[in-house]
Parts: sequence; C-alpha cells; structure tokens
Amino acid sequence: MRLGWLAAGVAMVGLMGSDAVAADKYKIFLSMSYIGNDWQAEAANMVKAMADHASMRDKVDLQIQVAGPNAQRQIQQINAMVQQGADAIIVYPISPTALNQVVKNACDKGVLVFAYDSVITEPCAYNTTIDQDEAGRKPAEWLVDQLGGEGKIVVITGVPGTSVDTARTAAAKDVFAKHPGIEIVAEGNGMWSQAVARTELSKIVATHPWSEIDGLWMQAGCFTAASMQDEAGIADADKKPCAGEGSNGHRIQMLPIGTEGIEGANGTYRPMGYPSISYASPPYSGALALKNAVAKLEGKEIPQLTSLPLPLYTNDEIKLCTEGTWAEMQAGCNVFQPALVSNPGWFGSIYSAETPEIGLQAALVGQPEN
Amino acid sequence: MSAAALPLAGRRPRRGMRLGRHRGLLVALVVFALLFAVADAITPGSFSYFELSFMSSGGATLALAGMGQTVVVLTGGFDLSAGAVVSLVNVVLATWMGPEPPSQILFGLVAIGIGATVGAVNGFFVAVVRLQPIVVTLSTMFIVQGITLLIMDKPGGLIAPEFSAFLAGDAIPDRLPAPVVVIAAAVAFWLLLKNTRFGVALYAIGSDPEAARAAGLPTRAIQLGAYVVAGMFYGAAGAFISAQTGSADPLIGGPMLLQIFTAVVLGGTLLGGGRGGCLGTVVGAYTLVLVVNILLVLNVSAYYSSVAEGAILIMAVLAASLNRRSAIADYLRLGWLELRARHDGTAPSAHAGEARPFALQRPEVALAPVSWLERHRELLRYVLPAYAGFVLVLVATHLVYGNALTNPAYFNSLIVLASFLVVLALGQGAVILTGGLDLSLPWMIGLCGILVAGLVRGSDEAALWAIPLGLALGAGLGALNGAGIVLLGLPPIVMTLAMNGILQGAALVYSNGTPDGFASPGMRWFMTGRLLGVTPVVWFVAAFVGAALVLLGRTAFGRRVYAVGNGALVARLSGVGVGGTLIGVYALSGLCAALVGILLASFSGQASLGMGDGYLLPSIAVVVVGGTLITGGRGHYLGMLGGVLLLTALATLLAGTTLPFAVRDIIYGLVVLAAVLALRERHA
Repeated sequence: MRLGWLAAGVAMVGLMGSDAVAADKYKIFLSMSYIGNDWQAEAANMVKAMADHASMRDKVDLQIQVAGPNAQRQIQQINAMVQQGADAIIVYPISPTALNQVVKNACDKGVLVFAYDSVITEPCAYNTTIDQDEAGRKPAEWLVDQLGGEGKIVVITGVPGTSVDTARTAAAKDVFAKHPGIEIVAEGNGMWSQAVARTELSKIVATHPWSEIDGLWMQAGCFTAASMQDEAGIADADKKPCAGEGSNGHRIQMLPIGTEGIEGANGTYRPMGYPSISYASPPYSGALALKNAVAKLEGKEIPQLTSLPLPLYTNDEIKLCTEGTWAEMQAGCNVFQPALVSNPGWFGSIYSAETPEIGLQAALVGQPEN
Repeated sequence: MSAAALPLAGRRPRRGMRLGRHRGLLVALVVFALLFAVADAITPGSFSYFELSFMSSGGATLALAGMGQTVVVLTGGFDLSAGAVVSLVNVVLATWMGPEPPSQILFGLVAIGIGATVGAVNGFFVAVVRLQPIVVTLSTMFIVQGITLLIMDKPGGLIAPEFSAFLAGDAIPDRLPAPVVVIAAAVAFWLLLKNTRFGVALYAIGSDPEAARAAGLPTRAIQLGAYVVAGMFYGAAGAFISAQTGSADPLIGGPMLLQIFTAVVLGGTLLGGGRGGCLGTVVGAYTLVLVVNILLVLNVSAYYSSVAEGAILIMAVLAASLNRRSAIADYLRLGWLELRARHDGTAPSAHAGEARPFALQRPEVALAPVSWLERHRELLRYVLPAYAGFVLVLVATHLVYGNALTNPAYFNSLIVLASFLVVLALGQGAVILTGGLDLSLPWMIGLCGILVAGLVRGSDEAALWAIPLGLALGAGLGALNGAGIVLLGLPPIVMTLAMNGILQGAALVYSNGTPDGFASPGMRWFMTGRLLGVTPVVWFVAAFVGAALVLLGRTAFGRRVYAVGNGALVARLSGVGVGGTLIGVYALSGLCAALVGILLASFSGQASLGMGDGYLLPSIAVVVVGGTLITGGRGHYLGMLGGVLLLTALATLLAGTTLPFAVRDIIYGLVVLAAVLALRERHA
C-alpha cells in the first residue's frame, strides 16, 4: 500500500508534465533564480513572450526551471539541462562564480550558455547586462548635484554579498567620498524589495527624523520613501530628492503635479513632482539573450558581452504611455498608466530598440506583439 | 555493566527487529531506487559515465553537509550553522589557498579545522554551558555569516585547478568520478566512527539522555564531540563546493540549510535523536538531486516544484513510519473503541450524573502566606533577562542618537515594527510550548497576504470580507498542519516544512508569479495613519498582548498547551485531548501568520512573494530569547514579548548606523547568545 501511494504520487507528477518536444526545434532551457519578485517575473514573462512570437514559435521549444536562491540547485539544474540535450541555456545566474565549472562543462558539450542581468565570469558564457558601476555612479552624481554638494543622506543597498550590490554601492560611495559636504547618516540593506525598504527606512526614521535627512540614494525603494513622507505629512513640494529605481510607481510620482490624462492613480501612486532620477536594470535582458541565442544557433556572430544602455531618466524626461505598445515606447514614452499597471513596484524599463517582438503585454502576461 | 544484562549479550536479535531498526534507511533506498528508475526511463539514452559524474558531484556538498547535520540530530540536537560554515570555508579557501600542492593539502586540513572550531564553539555552549542548541547555532550562524562577509564581500577568488580536479574531477578517468570516492571516504569514516564507543554513545544520548548518563556515559563530552564531528563534515562540504565551483561566493551556503534538513529526514533519521544514520542521509541527498532532474525532464511548471518536493518528503516519512503502532492506527483503534463503548453504553459520558467512587478533599493545612516575589521567582528568572537586554539597548540607542528615550515617535515606530513579531510570537510560541516547531510561517504569511491584497484591490468594502476570509484560510491551513502531525504522526518539522513548500506553490499559482493586489486605504491607515496620537496598530498590539496573556495563562486551552508540552502521555492520561490541543495550536499559529501577512500587506501597501521569508528565524529567536524551552512545557508570553522588544530595538539601533552589514550580523548573533546565556539553568 505504501509503495502504491508513492507510485500514485509519481504518476501524478507525471501527469503534470506537458507537451512532447517537436524534434526539429531548438531545445532551449531557461534557468531562473527566484520567481518571488516583480523583476524576475517580468523578465520571465518577456522571455516567454519572445519564444512565443511569430518569428520564433516554430524554431524554439522553451522550458523554464526555477532554482530559488540556491546556487547549488542551479548547478544541478544546468547539469540536468545538458543531460537533456539542450541546444542553449538562458540563465539568470545566482552567483557569478559558482556556475563557472558547470558552465564550462556545458560549453565543452557544445551547449550555448547565455546569462542575463547578472553575469557569469567563465569566458565561454555570453553575458547580457548593464554597467553596474555606472548604475551606482550616475544616480549618486545626480543626487550630489541636487543637494549642491552638501547634505545628510540615507543609503539603501541591495542584497549584501552579491557582486551587483557591491559594485553599485562602491561606485556611489566613491562619488560621495569626493564631496566632503555629503554625509551618509544611515545605511540599510533593502534587498531590492519595496517591502524590505519600508521596514529598513522605518527603523532609520525612528532615530533620524525626516527633518534631518536631505536626500536618499536607494537601489530600490524611492516609491516607498515618497509614500512614507506622505504619511508623515510632508507636502509634495518638500519631498526629499531620491536617486533610485525604475519602478512604475516611482516614475508616476516623478511626473509633475496635475499631469493630464492619468487614469487609475490612487493613494501615493500619483504624480507628485518628486525630484528624482530613475535608473533600471532592464527586465528585457532575458528576452534579448534568447533572441541572440537563437541567432547564434542559426550561425550569426554574437559578441560574448552584450552591454545594454543604462536606462536613466530625470523628471523632465519621464513621459506617459497610454497603450504600451512597442511602437509607442519607441516614440519615447517610459511610464505606464496606473490603470494599466496596478502594481506600483512593477518595473517600467521594458523598451529596447532591439526587441520589437515584445511590449507591455509581454511584460504583464507574456503575450508578444503582433 | 550489570550481571542481569549479561545473558542478553550473546543473543542475536531477530531478523525482523534488525530490519526494523534500519527501516528508515531501507525506505530511503526504495524511494531512491524508484525515482532513479523513473528518471532513467524518461531520460533519453542510457545512464552514462557523464551522467554519473554530474550526479555524484551535484549532490556531494549536500550529502557531506547533511552527514554532519545527521550526527547532531542523532544526539537530539539541531544545527542551524551548517550552511554558514560551508560559506566561510569556501571564502577562506578562495582567499588564502596558494597554488602549490603543500598549500592545498594544508588548506584541505584548514577547511576541516574551521568546521571543527565552529563546531567546538557550538558544542561548548550546548554541552558545557547547557544552552538550547537551536539558539546557540542560530547565533553562531549570524556570527559566522558576518565573518564570511568581512573576508569577502562579493563572489570571486580562485581555487587552484589541481584542488578542483582532485576532489571534483575524475579519480580514474571514464571509470570513477572523484566525488564518489569523496563520499565513499566520508561514509567509511562514519561507519568506523559509528562502531566506536563514541558512535554507540551518540545513539544512546539521542534515545534517552537520562539513561545514558545513568549508564555512566560522559554525555557532555560526547555532545561536544558530536558538534565537532558535524563541523568537520561541514568543513569538508565547504572544501568540496570550493573545488566544484572553482571560486567563492559568500552567500553560497545559507540557502542550503532547508535542503540539508530535508536530506536528513528523507534519509530516515529521526528528528529528536536516537535513530538513523549518515548512510541514509547520503541517499536522501541524492534523492533530492534526482527530483531536480525528474522535474526538469517532465517539464513540470516551475510553480509546482516546491509542491512536488513537499509531497515526496511527506510520503517518504509516512512510508518509513506507518505500521500497526503508528498514530493513524492508534486513532482508528481508539475511534473504534469509542464507537463500541457508545453503542454498549459503557462510555464515561453515559454515566455523567452518577456519583464518583472517590472524592477529592482539600487538605486542611494552614499554609504560610508566600510573597509575590517568592511565588513568581521561576517566572521572573526566565522572563527578566530579555527586558534587561531591552533596557540596555534603549540606553545604548539614547547614547548614540541622543533622542530615543524622550522621543514618543521612536517608541511609536518601535511598536509598529515589533507588531509583526508580537503576533507571530503567540503562534510560534504556543507551538514551541507543545514541543513542536512551525516552519510553514514564511509562505503562510506570503500566501494569506497575497490572497487578501488580491481580493481587496484597494477597496475598503472588499477588505471587510477578504480579511476574515484570509484569517480563516490561515487557521484552516494551520489546522491541516496539526491534523498531519496528530493523525498521520508526522514530526512537526517535516509536516510544516512540506506545508511551506506546498503553500509556496499555491501562492505562485494564484498570483501567476506577480502579485498585483494592493491594500485598501483603511488597511494602510491602520499601519501608517494616526489614532489618538499614535499609529492605530499600537492600540491593536496592546489589545493583542492582553488577549494572548489571557489565552495562554487563564484559559483551559492555555493550560492544555503547557500540559502537552510537559509530557504528551501524562497529559493524555490526565484527560487532556492531546490531538485536539495540537490541532488548535497549529491553527492558532496559522491564524497569527495570516494576520501578519495582512499587516505586512497593509504596511507596504502591497503584498509580495517571499515577504514572509525574513520572519521564520526571528519568530523562533524571540520565543527562545524570551525564556521558552525549545523542547516545550516552559515559557511565558510576557517573556516572548520581551524577546520581541529586545530584538526589534536592536535591529533599529543597528539600522540607524553606517556599520558594515557584516559587523551588524556579528553583533546580532552575540546579543542573542548573551540573552540566552543570562537564561542559563544555574544548577541543572
């Protein structure tokens, strides 16, 4: 009876497996890290949409696996993917170094490995990423300019111990160190999450009231910082300058007060003329990596490093999209109606000149452009 | 050895008994063989050397670390520092190991030495100072994590290729992968160790520490030794992962912790000690590797992978424990007896009105009045240290910032931030008082928060029915935890760990990976607005603390919780419905977690996946720092509240500084350790 249960369990697992693989398609795997945040989910949606686009549908058989935050498991997964006869593996690497051996193994077996957003240091891997140093430095320089080189600031970092966080934070601190008038009064680790940013900022504000803070540099959390200032009764005109992330909520807040044609604004998810700069690690990088992988499989030359331009917008560069098609974004809009994107933590930097296959619907629900 | 035991010594146990003792291992082997057959059948091509080498290296780190954990678990302990030690060894090797062979040999030994050192620290505090293993290892985990980040703040470094080839390459090219040799050596070491007096003593202590001591075993030295041996295994795991990855990542070990426990349990080792062994753990670790492969081949949606792993865990443990004497059989038999008694009219309830054959009489002895202090001495001794720590942290905060003690806004923020743990402490605390542990909190919080935010979508009217629904769901899922523990006889850690995975899958499927609900204005006001000068949730926390004190201290339910924790059998014989109480306790924990999910969603304005992840270890820490025994039966909600205040105030103090995060981890770990040191039993 016991074995019966087990067998039933195995059979159940078996039933969940889906469609058989067509032989003439490229077998491509996506190994994601964590699906627990908006960025990862958006990136995954865009990869799915890319694979589902009319130009790709007949060429690509895409399977998605998630490793969670555990690099060991990602190593196992990549091994298993190679065993399954993958043609290419698209990977969000949990660690830039821990995967090196297994990736080298995969390369030796003729499997293409494309990393997106974060990088793999093994030379045979293809990387698609932004310059993290620039992503830390440019917003910091903007903040110093805003404050006229003088003031007390709060720094909210990402996940300590990761190379992305270390690079961005070090670059920003280099900038601050050059201006003796800038004093970092508190530092919290925000884990790249609006929810954690709120907990950290609440702790900080308990001992450093808003009146003693002149500006903020955050890897993610400017939206939350504005919301908290709202709750503390600080008027829109007095909100502290914040150098931060590319979330849709943050960019809506950056629009001037009274912007015409806003639909679905609520609470602090509204235009407030918030003095800010918005940078982003764009979530289309996975989709672009997939496109490049297919191109490489078809015999085109792809460079080992695809360096993405850093999306960076100040208040007067933020423009509202009403539909969110790729064509509309190409014309220069970069933030979406709250009515279209109900989640303010959702990331708005989804436009790339190189991916006309995917627009807003791709990022939201994984549906490609026509 | 006494003369009476002698005649037994020569007799061989019956074969059934011998097999029964290895049942856990046998089931683990069967599960592994079954999954292996499935994996082999659905994988194109036959099992090649290439696959053997991939598989053996893929599971080796987990197997080695799991073996260490097994040694500790066998003595009835628990080691949370395993993953942290793996990371520490990894960064040490990548930073200081040279390219020459002597240096590589030296650092191979250093790896094991580092593990042994951390293990000795753990063992010292557990065995000699007699602190609870879970808190000691929680503190060392934070401290070791901090040291790791101090050595290396980002992934990098290089491991000499010869070192990699020796441990993770081929022992005999195309015949034997090196990881197989490594694991075989580790298993051989364990088998030798198991047959020494030390090895036998490990099992003796885990089965019954009192009996072991009475039999003249040096229990303290053996416990200390167990942690040292465990540390050596973690060190070996760290060395292996360094070889396998060729570099270092300071975060590599931490996320392995849950997998390590899963491997131990899958391998048939009993949590609580006395039965199992490292061989089973190795099988368990490789079973987990197989699961990853099978899920990949079947193309199971990523959302279901944690569900499948949870289900396999439950089924394997059930298969190892089901027999005529297991809990479910007991309940069926008791239920049948009860039915028959009702039918025959012999049930006690049928004789409610009759006079009892004996009557209790109050002894008429005049007792001298005892002072309040005298009566509550025991309670004060384990409740006060947390508050003393809290006051110290407050004073430190005031000295650093100059505005804490006199600043009402500081206390307001403190209570708002503490509110989540205040609520969780009741649920987790009640569970721990019964001797259990609820590991399903992270995704109970996540799922309920996401569900409520998704139903509310900014509407106060919807919140009126969605919040009760979310709370009911939490209580119901919690009761399901309890039912699994009571009816199926599953260990609480296994049941709640599996539930956590299942709930994670449910949350992902419900939200399709991107939760897009948001809190209503009323919910946001509750966590961030103003009512009579403070944030509304502050009033709620005051009411909640009152209700929790009454529930645990003044109700029949509360007394039953303590009774079960002090001894389930005695409680049952005294007429306490043990099963019902346990189900109630887990339902309470689920309810509290759901409430925290809703509070968190209200606080941030939106719910996110993984928002409960950061609350599991703190929920255990505050309960234990507040003077509660992890084995159950002793503790007070006031103490837990003190623990919450202490740890929240400490986190607030550290957040306002610019200290490196590594140093903050170390301070946090030291404070937790100091708090429980103050709780130490003076004459045990």
